[in-house]
Amino acid sequence: MSEKNIVTSKKPSLFIQFLGSMNLAVTLLVMLAIASVIGTVLKQNEAFQNYIIKFGPFWTHVFDTLGLFHVYGAAWFILVLLFLLTSTATCLVRNSPSFIKDMKHYSETMSINAYKHQPYSETYAVEGFDEALAKQTLEENGYKTKVHHSENGNVTVAGMKGRWSRLGYIFTHVSIIVICVGALFDSDLLLKYRQLTGQLAPETRSIPLSEIPQKSWLSPNNFSFRGTVNVAEGQSTDVLFLPYGQGFLVQKLPFSIHVKQFRIRYYDTGMPKSFESDVVLTAPDLKKPIVKTIKVNHPLVYKNYSIYQSSFGDGGTKLKLAIHPLLSPYPNALDIDTAVNQVEPLKTPIGTFKAEFNDFKMFNIVPATKEEQEKTGKKMHNNGPTIIFKVRNDQGIAWEYENYMQPNLQDGRWFFMTGMRTEPSAPYRYLFIPADEKRSKDRFFKFLALLNNPVQIHQYLKDAIPKSKNLDEKTYNLQLKLLQQLMVLFRDKGFRGIDLFVQKKVPQNEQKKVKDYYLSQTSFALQMLYLEFMEKSFPDKHITGNNLSDFDKQWFEDALNAINSLPSYGPPMYFEVKSFKQINATGLQITKSPGKDVVFLGSGMLIIGVFILFYVRQKRVWLAYSKQENALTIAGKDRKDFPETKIEFDQLVEIVKTNLKVS
Amino acid sequence: MNTLNSTIETNYENKNHLIREIIWAALVAIGSFMAWQEFNALMGLYEDAILVGTTIGLIMLGRFWPSIRTLSYFITALTLLALWSYSIHHNQISANEHAFFLRFLVSSQSAFMWMSALYVMAMATYFFALFNKSEFTGKVASTLAWSGVAFGLVGMLVRWRESYLINPDYGHIPVSSLYEVFILFTVITTLLYLYYEQKLKTRAMGGFVMLVVSAAVAFILWYTFDRHAYVIQPLVPALKSYWMKIHVPANFIGYGSFSIAAMVGFAYLLTDSALKRNPNSEFAARMPALEKMDDLMYKAISLGFGFFTIATILGALWAAEAWGGYWSWDPKETWALIVWLNYAAWLHIRMSKGWRGRPMAYWALIGLLVTTFAFLGVNMFLSGLHSYGEL
Repeated sequence: MSEKNIVTSKKPSLFIQFLGSMNLAVTLLVMLAIASVIGTVLKQNEAFQNYIIKFGPFWTHVFDTLGLFHVYGAAWFILVLLFLLTSTATCLVRNSPSFIKDMKHYSETMSINAYKHQPYSETYAVEGFDEALAKQTLEENGYKTKVHHSENGNVTVAGMKGRWSRLGYIFTHVSIIVICVGALFDSDLLLKYRQLTGQLAPETRSIPLSEIPQKSWLSPNNFSFRGTVNVAEGQSTDVLFLPYGQGFLVQKLPFSIHVKQFRIRYYDTGMPKSFESDVVLTAPDLKKPIVKTIKVNHPLVYKNYSIYQSSFGDGGTKLKLAIHPLLSPYPNALDIDTAVNQVEPLKTPIGTFKAEFNDFKMFNIVPATKEEQEKTGKKMHNNGPTIIFKVRNDQGIAWEYENYMQPNLQDGRWFFMTGMRTEPSAPYRYLFIPADEKRSKDRFFKFLALLNNPVQIHQYLKDAIPKSKNLDEKTYNLQLKLLQQLMVLFRDKGFRGIDLFVQKKVPQNEQKKVKDYYLSQTSFALQMLYLEFMEKSFPDKHITGNNLSDFDKQWFEDALNAINSLPSYGPPMYFEVKSFKQINATGLQITKSPGKDVVFLGSGMLIIGVFILFYVRQKRVWLAYSKQENALTIAGKDRKDFPETKIEFDQLVEIVKTNLKVS
Repeated sequence: MNTLNSTIETNYENKNHLIREIIWAALVAIGSFMAWQEFNALMGLYEDAILVGTTIGLIMLGRFWPSIRTLSYFITALTLLALWSYSIHHNQISANEHAFFLRFLVSSQSAFMWMSALYVMAMATYFFALFNKSEFTGKVASTLAWSGVAFGLVGMLVRWRESYLINPDYGHIPVSSLYEVFILFTVITTLLYLYYEQKLKTRAMGGFVMLVVSAAVAFILWYTFDRHAYVIQPLVPALKSYWMKIHVPANFIGYGSFSIAAMVGFAYLLTDSALKRNPNSEFAARMPALEKMDDLMYKAISLGFGFFTIATILGALWAAEAWGGYWSWDPKETWALIVWLNYAAWLHIRMSKGWRGRPMAYWALIGLLVTTFAFLGVNMFLSGLHSYGEL
């Protein structure tokens, strides 16, 4: 910033010298760079809780005090920026006048001796001096010239090239100031001031718009803002939410946006191709509403507001659900009508729950299997709609679910998948409910209800296993009772339940034997129950152990797998999606950015300045004729020395010598 | 030779020169016009403007640096061969597996393989020429580097076409994925180096610069064979914009220049150390003068800085249009700023404080690390808007 060879008329104060010093400038540049590195390595503006998990309370406190979680808005960061601005401005003010003078100055009035002391200079004896020819020679070589006649008869033709070079310095440094001023227009400094003086308070609760206090609202004539709003299809908005501090502010808009439709178009790979919203903008001063489809990279610009496609989500898809109680002895599903973003209270015999419906996904696109690719030629497979919801008990513990509406093919069999997790970061663990011959879940829930019903189990087992003649009544009943109990254990905790029971009730040395016996009896009972169940379900098929179809055998195994996992499925309920009516919401980002044009003006100046700085070289030459000595001094000086400077000077000397016939 | 004769000869050469320039300008203009005729249905106003700009830019570049013309003629011939080969196979992308020319020479994948091999051979030959003091070997090295550039550019042009052949929906200029920009990086770096090679009339630094290019080749090969990154993917919505066509190449002129500066810095340090150990060092005698390398470092960094400034500003313009804000402190943006600040500091120290030599060479090398992190590290370690994982 400060140049070594600048001649300043008076020595500036020590403080000004420090502000304009190169050392300070480079230090500030490096500080900004380091601060920026911190800002990218530490995730910014996250929820405070996440930081505590990551760094522990002590370091979180330290980092927070240093403002490291909001580096780019931290006071010290702003201070560094301000210092850099002041430093740049000081430099500019100090150097510009002399630079501008330098641009006009040809230094044509110096003494011959002074020319001889230029970085490059050669002197030749001459017969005379053709001033016009000298002038012409320099001009032909791209120099602007100025001629000076001394009183003693000496003549100097001064030439200068690339005088605009100095503008490079001025442009680049002014541009930095312009860009920062533009950025300042768009910063939240004004909001910070209003918050400090108590006129403004961000809202941190999640409450309906009508309940948000006036202190969190911003009027339509707010100078600059950038916020987002989610609008469901068929809905309108005239407000915007600006994230601020730990909460948000509500920005009132001077217009209203109605969203007709949101859609996603897909490539054949299943990747989204475009996100589009059909919007209608109405404003009091508009005669006709503006109707436009906005897409990513194609915003709607109205006055100094820009409306962008920014995200999307569910806008409250209407859902018809059936809730299957998993412990009920009868198949008695409960039908409910609800919607995404709603919470349904559930009173059950095992306690009260809340079902929170968080999301609905129309498509779940996964890579197709090799066989499917060969068959259909499609690279991607759509698993169909899912609902994502949480079931929360009265202690606040939540289980999160992802339920598929349609069955999916796995190893050639159809399953209804349902995923469950208890931690938001964990992957879902899936339960596979086998589909029956009608590709429905009916058989599963009927069979499950049977297993939940000890009375019916008893009856079925009795029907399935008639008492043999050589068995007395007591033993037979004891055996039935054992099987029935095993069923209860199995239903309670799966095969593991039987294991646990044996571990608890049987002496150690007998455990293995008893366990093997119990497990085989459990399998036997389940098979018998299933056969009896199938026989009663399809009376005309006369199903026995020998004519059970492969499908029905496989179904039984799959159903047992599923039932075996039910105890770890969370609250005993399964949510079936009967039907839905999808309603999308589009996430719009709306900005008013008065600083944008200022920043772009500065950016333009910066580019021009940088290229002038690097590629316009300021060169000076002098052809100084001394009448007394009858000698011509050819002198040259570049503002910056390059290896080619000398070569170019020598070339010019040759040209001058040829043209002026100097030998 | 008397004066009169030499004047005539100069005139004759001038005339010849002029004719060649006119032919060049005419060919570029005709080529662009034909491209426009063929594809204007797919182009918007801004794309038209970019085409006009590119045409003028290429004509100027060819005048300024005549070697570009020869390169362009070769590239055009090879690319047309690829297009012709696809067209006789009914424009089916699968032709790249069985059509002779495509399979072994000019399908984008084959061209990239040729490119990779040629770069590595160029590096080896440059070093061989340096230790062999052989002018001829040096010429071979340059030819290899030029050929690598030619195959790289042919591959990119053909890949552009191939993206449309796979599915017109997928069609896009191949500067959208990490794989594609790596190829762009090797092409631009080598090309910039070749310019300085001609200008400074020395091939001594070729091996050093090609070290970076070869490292990039190693990455490309790993990315190809281990990650199958060469598969042409359709564009995510955020990238569907004409801005990509100018933002990305401008950026890579910056990255390429910074890499050259770093490798020249490396060569500088080696030479300087050799001279310190032994003022009559044989190695140092073969390298260019220290001041020349120092100056080249400065020139490369100033060129890179200029284009990096343009690229970052273009990025801000694009961000304003796509994300609703010209600056979001997104990790990639922020790292671009860090790179920019780093070189701004470098330039200030050199221009105002007059620092030269070793410290600046070290700093240029560190600059390459910073640049590499901005280019690669951000994508690998930090998430943000530039990861394109989401809308």
